[in-house]
Amino acid sequence: MTATELPPTHSVSPLLALRPRRVEAGLLVMVGVAVGVAYGLASFGTTEAIPANLGPFLIWMFGLGAVAHLANRHFTSAADPVFLPISLLLNGLGYVVITRLDGSLAALQSTWTAIGIGCYVATLLFLPRVRIIEQYRYLLGIGGLLLLMIPLVPGLGTEINGARIWASVGPINFQPGEFAKLTLAAFFAGYLVDSRELLRSRLELRDLAPIGTAWAGSLGVMVFQRDLGSSLLFFTLFVVVLWVASERWVVLAVGAVLFFGGAFAAWTMFDHVQKRVDIWLDPFADPKGDGFQIVEGSFALADGGLTGTGLGHGEPGRIPFAETDFIFAAIGEELGLAGSSAVLMAFLLLIGSGLRVALRIDRVFEKLFALGLTTLLAVQTFVIVGGVLRVVPLTGITLPFVSYGGSSLVANYVLLALLVRMSHEQRVSVRPAKGSP
Amino acid sequence: MNLRIRRLGVVLGVLYLVLFLQLNRVQLFGAERLQDDVNNTRGLIREFGRERGPIVTADGVLVARSVEYGGSVDFRREYPEGELYAHITGYQSLNVEAVGLERSYNDELAGDPIDQRFASLGDLFVDRNSTATLTLSIRDSVQRVAAEALGDRRGSVVALDPRTGEIIALWTFPSFDPNPLADPDGTVANAAFDALVADPDTPLLAKSYREIYFPGSTFKLVTAAAGVETGLIGASTPVFPVATTYEPVPAGALIRNFAGSACGGDLVELLRVSCNTAFSEIGAEWVGPEQMVDAAEAFGFNADLGIDLPGAAESRFPADYGERLANVDRYRAPGQQPVEGAETVLPNGAVPVHENSARLAQTSIGQNDVAATPLQMALVAAAIANDGVVMTPHVVTELLAFDGSLLDRVEAEPLRVAMSASTAAILRDAMRVVAEEGTARNLLTGGVVVGGKTGTAQLGTTPPNSHAWIVGYAGLPDEQPSLAFAVIVEAQEGASEQTGGRVAAPIAQAVIEAAFN
Repeated sequence: MTATELPPTHSVSPLLALRPRRVEAGLLVMVGVAVGVAYGLASFGTTEAIPANLGPFLIWMFGLGAVAHLANRHFTSAADPVFLPISLLLNGLGYVVITRLDGSLAALQSTWTAIGIGCYVATLLFLPRVRIIEQYRYLLGIGGLLLLMIPLVPGLGTEINGARIWASVGPINFQPGEFAKLTLAAFFAGYLVDSRELLRSRLELRDLAPIGTAWAGSLGVMVFQRDLGSSLLFFTLFVVVLWVASERWVVLAVGAVLFFGGAFAAWTMFDHVQKRVDIWLDPFADPKGDGFQIVEGSFALADGGLTGTGLGHGEPGRIPFAETDFIFAAIGEELGLAGSSAVLMAFLLLIGSGLRVALRIDRVFEKLFALGLTTLLAVQTFVIVGGVLRVVPLTGITLPFVSYGGSSLVANYVLLALLVRMSHEQRVSVRPAKGSP
Repeated sequence: MNLRIRRLGVVLGVLYLVLFLQLNRVQLFGAERLQDDVNNTRGLIREFGRERGPIVTADGVLVARSVEYGGSVDFRREYPEGELYAHITGYQSLNVEAVGLERSYNDELAGDPIDQRFASLGDLFVDRNSTATLTLSIRDSVQRVAAEALGDRRGSVVALDPRTGEIIALWTFPSFDPNPLADPDGTVANAAFDALVADPDTPLLAKSYREIYFPGSTFKLVTAAAGVETGLIGASTPVFPVATTYEPVPAGALIRNFAGSACGGDLVELLRVSCNTAFSEIGAEWVGPEQMVDAAEAFGFNADLGIDLPGAAESRFPADYGERLANVDRYRAPGQQPVEGAETVLPNGAVPVHENSARLAQTSIGQNDVAATPLQMALVAAAIANDGVVMTPHVVTELLAFDGSLLDRVEAEPLRVAMSASTAAILRDAMRVVAEEGTARNLLTGGVVVGGKTGTAQLGTTPPNSHAWIVGYAGLPDEQPSLAFAVIVEAQEGASEQTGGRVAAPIAQAVIEAAFN
């Protein structure tokens, strides 16, 4: 931080500062009631009966919330109380819609939710200080690259729906890329702590080597794994963190040039990229074929209107991959503009809280790490919602916390735990009365 | 760094604002355009899968209902009587556009109209079944007899109450089973539809009101009405001279009687023997083009009949007879022979000759380009039975709410005035003579007063075949007739004037017996 820049404001709302966990508990109860009601309504809408397992569902859901809440009380008592309830709300709403779309996915998704909460608690338990991560930055960077490459290893990697982003170990499939984004965010933050002073004082061609490397890596992901969404995500993550660390506009300019250059090259070289762009420009050119998913998604959203068809009363099952990539359209159909806007607002609240941690925390590593994690969350949400809404070309990627998918859910809960941990550290640091520095 | 983080926050805020604006566009402001998109089958399936009200005949037979369907849709349509009511109920299909009452009363059956949904203030808060039940004027007992009497001969039977326009029977053979077309499985519906479309006998077409035929001699009732309306022709005067041919002026195709026979006499006699030559003369020389067109249109020709079933065909009476020819005017006054010459002032009742009066001689006996639906010909008889007033034909009489209370009643409404009551009385009596002593004797049945007119519309001579027609009315003695009917049996062998009476009249007789049973 330079002397010319204003110091971060430390004014925390007194109410929140006093009893963040009590606020969190209140919010969690509200989330629990909202999700429980939604679950009952969705079941009633599809089968005209109150689900028999409503009781166990409520116990399970409140139990998971309570576990995470108790972990927060114990490990991160000062953290921003918004993170956990908002994430559980998104997770719960996603679960309701997934269950309503395909009952056979319900058990798996609830298991993954439990594992996600478990990883959340474990992260808080085993990571008393986020700065511990900093010393393993190169290990994590290499680890991230290795994770990214796992799907390319013959025998381990599996191609599903045209993207080679899956790894199979025995009966378990997972997407290593979901975890790679966390370790790479840690690596970027740690690396830039070292080099940012250098980057800020001078800028030579060789200083742009890291951005070039990231660009090449992103292109590699796109070419070898055909995963446009992750490619875009990694590249944006690196450019944003580098830009903030170096405080140089030229990083953004070069990033933009490389992005559009890479995008154009990909467009000319790869049929599937061209197809994506063509569908984006005019999905109605082939409404029964290539454009089917996005056209059906638009029809679903249009059917939703202002207030939606009601849970269980729409036809979101008509959209291909409604439980993963297009879950936002399914929510928009049954809960209307009111519901889909609420989901966007929830993400904005999460992103806002994440950026607030990045703004207020003093240590550079934590600042850049929190920034990276928040950027991941924000860009991933923008890319998939924008893809569904035809603001950007569609790339298959999950909607954090909402979509069906174990890897994504677990990775995002770990991401959440890291943000919560940093939020706690930041708040404690401005309240020396609490003791721990 | 914090400055950059704030700027990033602003950029992200703008990006999410874009998402929010686009979300509003898709879900709210542009939603209607998306919902109306041709590729959007959501509305179609939703509409298809809803519960709809049943359709019931006047005598309580259920002919269409919604049954719960476990699967892609909540409900499907069932037609318990199969093909007997297919041309009335139509069908509601996922693949093709609905027809019949399923189409014309779509909103009411589905429960959409505001007054059905919110019958009382309490309905604002509860999800009440708002579908309407349609009660038909069709009587199953008559409809069934009509179908049995026609059998497997191609043709149509229309029977209605001339006083109200309520249709009592409406049958066309061949018909079709609407159930497979209403199958929620699109492939089943498509296969059934393709097979029906490929059938050369076009069973999907409700020919009773959607196909037009040469009406043959039954059309002479229209010419007779026009003749009486001129004031020059009465039941017993004038007496037309016996002739075997009629030579139109200016010269055109010679009009002959059936089998070269000779006929003449007063109007009743002319109708009794269905005298071509005399009716050609009445149309061409006594009535004239303008009044013939007016008379036909007063019965409903060249216009929509206003029936509550979709896709009804308009009957056709040619309106173009060319320019008036000043130099070959001739006139006819009662009892006088035609006088040729260029008269500048014509006496009362005289008809100016037109370029194509020869065509009028043909159209006046239902030949040339005249074509009528069986429903139209039933309305010709109905107008005569109902003192000259054509009532709007309909098959739905009542709309009932789910709880059985009356939502709406279809009132009897006059469509047109075809002739004066006195003209109608003359023709009623004449038709009664035709039934009792003429070509329509097969109509007679005990206890009922019957009047009729046969028709044989020749289609070709090798081999000779023709449409056999009968139109008429029936009623209790000393009461206004309560039944009017038209029966056509298509493409029957033979071409004698007797064909209509021999083939079609027994079917009408069975219908009369069923109606007055």
